[in-house]
Amino acid sequence: MAAALEAIALNKRFNSLQASNNVSLEVEQGEIRGLIGPNGAGKTTLVNLVTGVYKADSGEVKLAGESLRGCDMHEIARRGLVRSFQVTRLFGSLTVAENLRTAFLARRPKDGTDGEARIAQMLDLTKLRPLADTQAKKLSGGQRALLQMGCGFMVPGSCYVLDEPFSGINPVIKDAIIDMILEVNKLYGATFLIVSHEMTIVRRLCPKVTVMMEGKVAAHGSLDEVARLPEVIAGYLGKALE
Amino acid sequence: MIALRSPTFRRSAIVILVAAVLLLFVPLIASNFVVHVLVASFYYVILAASWNLLAGYTGQFSLAHHAFAAVGAYTSGLLGYHWGVSVWIGIPAGALLAGAMGYGLGRLVLRMRTIYLAIATWAFAETVHVYLTADYTFTRGELGLSVKSLYGTLNPTPYYFTFLGLTVIVLLGLRALIDSPLGYFMRAIKDDELRAKSLGIDTTMVKVRVFSISSAIAGLAGAVYGHYIVTLTPQMLDFSEMAKIVVMVVIGGFGTFIGPVVGAAPVNVALTYLASYGEWNLAVFAAVVIVLMRFSMEGIAGLLAPLWRRLWTRNA
Repeated sequence: MAAALEAIALNKRFNSLQASNNVSLEVEQGEIRGLIGPNGAGKTTLVNLVTGVYKADSGEVKLAGESLRGCDMHEIARRGLVRSFQVTRLFGSLTVAENLRTAFLARRPKDGTDGEARIAQMLDLTKLRPLADTQAKKLSGGQRALLQMGCGFMVPGSCYVLDEPFSGINPVIKDAIIDMILEVNKLYGATFLIVSHEMTIVRRLCPKVTVMMEGKVAAHGSLDEVARLPEVIAGYLGKALE
Repeated sequence: MIALRSPTFRRSAIVILVAAVLLLFVPLIASNFVVHVLVASFYYVILAASWNLLAGYTGQFSLAHHAFAAVGAYTSGLLGYHWGVSVWIGIPAGALLAGAMGYGLGRLVLRMRTIYLAIATWAFAETVHVYLTADYTFTRGELGLSVKSLYGTLNPTPYYFTFLGLTVIVLLGLRALIDSPLGYFMRAIKDDELRAKSLGIDTTMVKVRVFSISSAIAGLAGAVYGHYIVTLTPQMLDFSEMAKIVVMVVIGGFGTFIGPVVGAAPVNVALTYLASYGEWNLAVFAAVVIVLMRFSMEGIAGLLAPLWRRLWTRNA
């Protein structure tokens, strides 16, 4: 079976900076993969290349074996590759419920459902029901992160690329997001590639991680395996993980 | 159909229809001049509402909307003048050509934003302006193009009912559109285009479609209005016409449904009665905009919003 998500020798240069240097990566169907590395290692560039925000100078991305070459960002999303942004992006002037509705309508399933039941379910799941009619720009950071995640899960995707979904939010909301990820993974067999610096969560969620440093893939393996590598300790972790 | 079932559509439809029924009686009591001013007000309501769809809801701050009204008017006028084409074919042809040109312009300015989009669309409008003025053998330029009247009379009353009906249809159509998936996508694009794309929204399709729809509506209004005023001149393309539309929407409430309606009619009425003060008109309106913005960024609609909510909460 083809990998759920495959990056093949991706290169991307911004002026003098080689942000992505021959990056290859394979994430298996149903896998939850961690993507770790120091700031400026090229993780977000990889996310942007995979999801079509940037066009690669060379290399290719495949989703379930099919090339995404030439696909616009919205086409990639419609094929089931859903992403979240490191700095939460929402439609600020729309209410919480309208954000969820827009996410549903954007990738509306062909079965003719109008999504209202799904919106109600997601409001409960994210515990945002009391804020359903509040404009998204008035939410707190944690609530925004939850809503962004909820929007991504409105119509189940086959593969999720989440860019630092746990940064700057409190433990309760972190747990809520972890639960949502695990549920979608279990229910729909969705694949995840998660960028994070939160090693405890990465250890809990991701059996395997990929380490990026200076625009290159530095190592693959379980967190404990890569955390023992001297170059990963020196360049990223600072000390061995406990 | 999400749109027709939504409470916002039903509420707006009730208010629009009730207002329309009340307005049916105006010609019985008002003078011909007042009726004439109201015909022009309806015309501006349609222009303002369709421009608001593009600029207020989708964030495409076009400055070519008056040009599309002129394209509609001149298409129908020229078809009749040169080839004797019936008004009833000329008007839809004007709307279609304006829609098609809107599609083309929408494609051209697809990657532009804010001031760049405004300048590019303004340049388009000026090009049309220059053409209509310069090619006077075909368009009659500043001499003015004589156009057949729609009903063979200059009495404003039949045009009043026509424009009232047209305004109701356009407003109901726009409300349905705003509450449809396309309406959600429009607002999403205005807020954050990258986010919209990442969710799977074909932003190119949405922007071009909205450009085309709003231009076609302007073309339709322009074509019908042309057959009311019966003489077309390139003055339709003066920048002050576009400025008027912008001021109407901003005073009424930029990006709100009711804004263009509550903005366009009073502004047009006031402009008509202040006409004797010449260019001081716009200075007065600039002052009104500044004062209003100080109290409500959403214009009159922002001030009316609590009233609107109370009306429907009590009845719910």
